[in-house]
Amino acid sequence: MNFLPLSFGAPMVLWGLLALPVIWWLLRLTPPKPQTETFPPLKILARVLRKEETPHKSPWWLTLLRLLLAALVILALADPVFNPREKIAVEGQALAIVMDNGWNAAPDWERRVATAERLIVDAKESDVPVVLALTAEKPAQDIGPFNADTALERLNAAEPRPVPTDRLSVYARVADALENLPGATLAVLADGLAGDEDEAAFETLLAVQLSDLLWIAPQGLSTVALTDTANEPERFLVKAVRGPDAAAPRQLIAYASDEKGRRIAETTIAFGPGAREAEGEMRVPFELRNDFATVALEGENHAGALRVLDENARRRRIGLLSQNEGDRAQPLLSPLYYIRRALSPFADLIEPSNPALTEAIPELLEQKPAAIIMADVGTLPDSARQSLIEWMENGGTLIRFAGPRVAAAGNDETLLPVRLRVGERSLGGALSWSEPQPVAEFPASGPFSDLTPPRDVAVNRQILAEPSPDIVERTWANLADGTPLVTGAARGDGRVILFHVTPEATWSNLPISGSFVEMLRRIVQLSRNQGSLTSETEDDAGRLAPYRMISASGALVPPGPEAEPLAAGQTPRVSLENPPGLYGSEEGVIAHNLLPADATLQGLARPQAPVATQTLRYAFDTSRPLKGPLMAAALALLALDTLAVLWLGGMMPGRRGRRAATATVAAFTMGLALAAAPDAARAQSPQPQDAEAIAAISATRIAYVVTGVSSVDAVSRAGITGLSRFLADKTALEPGEPAAVDIAADELSFYPLIYWPISTDAPMPTEDAIARIDAYMQEGGTVLFDTRDQYSSGFGSTGSVSPETQRLRDILSGLNVPPLEPVPDDHVLTKAFYILSEFPGRYRGSQLWVEASLNAPTRTDRPVRTGDGVSPIMITGNDLAGAWAIDEQGQPLLPTVPSDPLQRVYALRAGVNIMMYMLTGNYKSDQVHVPVLLERLGQ
Amino acid sequence: MARLGEATSPAATPDVVARARARAALVPDLLVEARRVANNVIAGWHGRRQRGIGENFWQFRPYVEGEAVARIDWRRSARDEHLYVRDREWEAAHTVWLWADKSASMLYKSAHADVSKESRALVLIFALAELLSRSGERIAWPGLTDPFSTRNGAERLAQHLGHAPEQGDKPDLTPVRRFSDVVLAGDFLDTPDETMRWLDTLARTGARAHLIEIADPAEENFPYSGRTEFRDPETGEKLTAGRAETLGDDYRQLYLARRETLSRWCKKLGWSYTVNHTDRLASEALIAVHLAMTAETGVGTGAQTGVGR
Repeated sequence: MNFLPLSFGAPMVLWGLLALPVIWWLLRLTPPKPQTETFPPLKILARVLRKEETPHKSPWWLTLLRLLLAALVILALADPVFNPREKIAVEGQALAIVMDNGWNAAPDWERRVATAERLIVDAKESDVPVVLALTAEKPAQDIGPFNADTALERLNAAEPRPVPTDRLSVYARVADALENLPGATLAVLADGLAGDEDEAAFETLLAVQLSDLLWIAPQGLSTVALTDTANEPERFLVKAVRGPDAAAPRQLIAYASDEKGRRIAETTIAFGPGAREAEGEMRVPFELRNDFATVALEGENHAGALRVLDENARRRRIGLLSQNEGDRAQPLLSPLYYIRRALSPFADLIEPSNPALTEAIPELLEQKPAAIIMADVGTLPDSARQSLIEWMENGGTLIRFAGPRVAAAGNDETLLPVRLRVGERSLGGALSWSEPQPVAEFPASGPFSDLTPPRDVAVNRQILAEPSPDIVERTWANLADGTPLVTGAARGDGRVILFHVTPEATWSNLPISGSFVEMLRRIVQLSRNQGSLTSETEDDAGRLAPYRMISASGALVPPGPEAEPLAAGQTPRVSLENPPGLYGSEEGVIAHNLLPADATLQGLARPQAPVATQTLRYAFDTSRPLKGPLMAAALALLALDTLAVLWLGGMMPGRRGRRAATATVAAFTMGLALAAAPDAARAQSPQPQDAEAIAAISATRIAYVVTGVSSVDAVSRAGITGLSRFLADKTALEPGEPAAVDIAADELSFYPLIYWPISTDAPMPTEDAIARIDAYMQEGGTVLFDTRDQYSSGFGSTGSVSPETQRLRDILSGLNVPPLEPVPDDHVLTKAFYILSEFPGRYRGSQLWVEASLNAPTRTDRPVRTGDGVSPIMITGNDLAGAWAIDEQGQPLLPTVPSDPLQRVYALRAGVNIMMYMLTGNYKSDQVHVPVLLERLGQ
Repeated sequence: MARLGEATSPAATPDVVARARARAALVPDLLVEARRVANNVIAGWHGRRQRGIGENFWQFRPYVEGEAVARIDWRRSARDEHLYVRDREWEAAHTVWLWADKSASMLYKSAHADVSKESRALVLIFALAELLSRSGERIAWPGLTDPFSTRNGAERLAQHLGHAPEQGDKPDLTPVRRFSDVVLAGDFLDTPDETMRWLDTLARTGARAHLIEIADPAEENFPYSGRTEFRDPETGEKLTAGRAETLGDDYRQLYLARRETLSRWCKKLGWSYTVNHTDRLASEALIAVHLAMTAETGVGTGAQTGVGR
C-alpha cells in the first residue's frame, strides 16, 4: 500500500477480500424471497414477463451494494490507518532531545512540540531515559534524564522564548549529561537560525559518544524580521531582512500602532527576487508618527517581527530661551511667539521658570531636551555655557536666532556655526542702496535641500558671516545675493544652527511665512532627545525596570518574572534576563529590540557528525485510524440494503412509498422550519404599542382622562381641541390631536398635562390606576382636576360638599398630594403668557389650586415669586373644558355662566397660561430680570 | 403482506343451490326467445303470447295473398266476405345447455372478492337452471345430462353434478343441436384462439351461446407489487416477477385484449358475452344474460316473426 498514505494494523485480515467472489456467487444465487401469489391468468402474465431479463436473480446494484458492504467490513477489521506516521527508531540507550525554542521557533511551535512528542513516545516504547534540553532557556535548567512521561510533561510546559538561542552553554550541559549515558540517540530539533557560536557548540555536543544523530530542521529559513526603523524628516523607514532560503519576491505589510495598539499607519515591504533586505516607508504626518509605539509585520507572529520604539523616534522636547520676554501685552513682538506657534504642534516645548540664564539653562538641560532654541541670546554665563556645550557635544541641537544682542555679543567659536561680523547689515533702508533680499534656492548639501524656498520672503536686515573656506558647506540657506540666512555646524554628536535673522518679524518676514515652520520642523527632526525623563530615585537611576515585553508570538505583554531591569546607557545582549521590549516607565521608555540594525538571518548548516545521521522534518502526527469511519459506512450501507430489500419486496409499493417518502421529507423540513421559526417570530414581533408611542411623541399633545361618561368625554375632547386651536393661533405651540388616555392602561409619560374632569357617573378609578397617576405626578407630569361644580357646590366653604368634590377627595386620598394653595397673585401661572388675575372656565369664581410654594420668600420688589418646579397638580371647579369646547365650525359648544363672551376669552387665556406653565416652568419668573438687565447694559 | 388471492375449495353444492335460488327469485320468469323451427321444437307448457305453433287459438287474421290456401279457416271465412286465417298461439319448449367451468383456475378468490369464481359461476348457472325450468324449458349439462324438463331443474342439475365423475376441462359440445341456447360460465383465460377453437363446433351447429366470464378483480386490476412469485393453479407453473408493479400496464392490456377479442367474436356470431366480477352482485350477470336470452337476434333465427311484445 505504498501508493496510498494508508497502513493496516492487521493486514492478514485483508485476505478476507478473497472471499468476495464467493459472497458474490452466493448473493447472485439467493434472491430475496418473493411474495407467493396464486394467479390463474398466468398464461397472460407469462407473455408480459418474458420482457424482464433476470427475474430470478437479485438486481446487480443490490449485489454490488452487498459486496461493497462486505468489503468495507473486511477493510475495517484490518484496522487501517490513514497517513501513518513514520516510526522513528530510537536505537540508542537513551534519547537526548536538544530543542531550539528561540524566537524563530515560535511560529510553528506546535509542530515542533508534536515532533518531539513523537520522539518521546517512541522512546517510551523502547523504555529509554530522555534528556530534554531547550536552548533558549537558562543553561541551569533541569535537563534530565527523565522518564518518558516526565519528559512529555516538561515538553508540553515548554514554550518559545522571544530571545536568541544560547546553544553553546546548553549544548555543553547536554554533553555533560550524556557522558553518563553513552550510546544515546541525539535528536537536534533546530530552529534553522544560525547563532554566533554554533561551531563550538556542535563540536562540544558531538564530541560525546553517540549511537546516532537525528537532525530535525525546518525546510529552509525564510523568516522575515524587522531590523531597524528610522524616523526621517519626511518619512518613517522600516527595514526588514529575511532568511537565505526565501528567494521568491515577496510583499509584506508592516504597520505601526500607537500605545493603545491602534493601527495608525502601514506600508508595504517588498523583497525583490533573491533580495535578503528590503525596506518600506510610511509617509504619514509627523504628528501621527510621534504616536508610533510599535512597528510590526503583518502575518508574522514571532518576536522578530515586532519592534518597539522609544523616545528617540518620538516627539522631541525643545527648550525655549529668550532674554526679553518682557511685555506680554504685545505678544506679536515677543521673540518666541512665532517659534511657539510653529513648534507646538509637533514638539513638547519647555520654558524655564526663571529668566536668569544661570538658572534657566541648567533647568532646561535637566529635562534633557532634544533641542534648545535661543532667541537673540547674547553672552552666556560661563557655567551655563559649559554645560550647554557639554549637552551639545552629547548630541543636543542648539538653534540660535540673531538679533541685536547676538550682533553685539561678539563671536563664540563653539556656540555659533560661523564667525560673525560684528553688527548687522541693513538692506533697503533709507541709507542703503540695496533692496530687501529674497531667499535663494536652498543649497543641495543642506538639510533644507528638498524644501521649496519661499518666494514672498524678504529680508531687510541680517547679520553677516565672515567669509571662510567652509562657509559654503555650513550654509543651509542663502539670500539671493549669496549671503547666508541659516548656517549650521556639527559640534560633537550635536550641532549648532544659526538663523541670521530675528525670530520675530522685525528683520524679515520669514517668521510669518510657512517656510519658517517647515525649516524649524526639519531641524527638530534632526535633533534627538537626550535621554528620557525618569522620576526614579537615585538608586535606580541607572536601571530601567521592564515595562512592556515582546512575547515570543510578537505581541506586547506585561513583563514576566524573569525579566530584569536594564542598565541604562548600555545595550546588553538580548537574553532571558533582558528580553526585548520597553524598559522604563510610563514617563519614558527605552526600546530594547531583538535584532540589531545590522542583523542578518543566516541559515544553520548541519554539522558533520561522526555517527549515522538521519535528517527529518517537523511534522504533525496526522495519522488517523479509519476503522470507525469504515464501520460507519458499512452500517450506512446496511441500512440502505434494508431499505432496498423492503422496496424490492413490495413493502413500499410505488405510489404509497413515494408519498411516504415525500411525507417524511416534508415532515423533516417542517421540523427544521419550526426549529428556526421562533427566532424569526421573535425577530419580527414588533412592540405592540410602538405606533401609539410614536404618534404620542411626534407632537405635543394635551391629554384628557376618559371617564367613560360619553358626554363628559365629548366635552373634554372638544375643549382640548378648542384650547389647541387657540394655542396655535396665539402662541408658538401647535399641539397635536387631543389624546384620550385611559389611566389604567395607557402610557401617561408622553403627555405634559392631563385634564381630568371629575364625574360622579364615572366609575371610581382602581387603585392601580391611581398609583399610575401618582407615579406620573412624581415623574413630573401635571394633572388638572376639574370638578365642574362651582355652582352646584353651594356658596361658601362651610356648606355641604358636592358629590364631585367628594369623588375628588376620594381620588386624592390615594395620591401623594403636596400642600396646596390657591394661585397667589405673584405665581408664575398668572404671568406665564397673559397676565391674569383669575382662571375662569364656564363658571367663574372657583379658585385654581396649585402646589404651595411655601418656602419661597415673598419679596415685594419682585413681581413674581421665584421657585423651581412645576406644580404636579391643579384643581379647579370652573369647568375649563366646557368653556374651551368648540364644535366643528369653531363655534362655542356651551354657554358660559354668566353668559359673557369675555369670560370665554379669559378661560382660553387661562388655558394658555397653564400650558405655558407646563412647558416652560418658571422661565417667566426669570424674565422679570430683563428690565434690570437692559437697564444695566444701557449703562 | 398478506396474499391477495387464495385457492378455495370447491363450493358445496346445496349451499350454492340455495344461493342460486335466492338469486333466481329476484329475476322474473325467464322467457327464452325460442326460435321457431318446427322440427326441433318440443312444446312446452305455456303459451308464448304470440302466434306460432301450438294448439290453442290465438287470433283470426285476414288472409294475405300468397299464403298457403290450406291455412284459411273456412268456417270463419264463411261468415262474411273476407278470408281469414286462424293463428294459434306459439307454445314451445327450448333446450338450454348450461355449463360452469369447474377447473382449478376457477377455485380462486382474491382479497377484494367476496366469493370464488367457481362459486359465482355455479350460482349463476343454477339460478338460470331454476329460472328456465320454472318456465318449462329443457335444460342440460353437456357431458353430464341429456336435456330434461322438470320443475326443480336446479336441484336436479345439482344432484347430477354431485354424482358426476371428474370431468374434463372442456366438455364435449357436440350433442348441442341447432337452435339451442348454450350458457357457458367460466373465466375463459385460455388464449382466445383456444377458446374459439373449442366453441367453433357450437358456432357451426348454429346454437346460440351466452358466455359469462367470471373475473376476479385481482385478475383484472393486477394489484401486485414488489417481488412476487405467481403460481398457476392449473398447471402449477411458477413465474417470478422482480417488480410486479412494472408489469401491471402490459398485463392489463393483454387481459383486456383477450376479453375484447372474445366478445367481438361472440358479437359477430350473435352470441352474448357478459362479464361478471366476483366483487359485484351475481344478479347483475343474471339480468344481463336474461336480457340476452330473451333478446331477438337476427342471426340464425330463420323466419322470425316477432310481434311487438
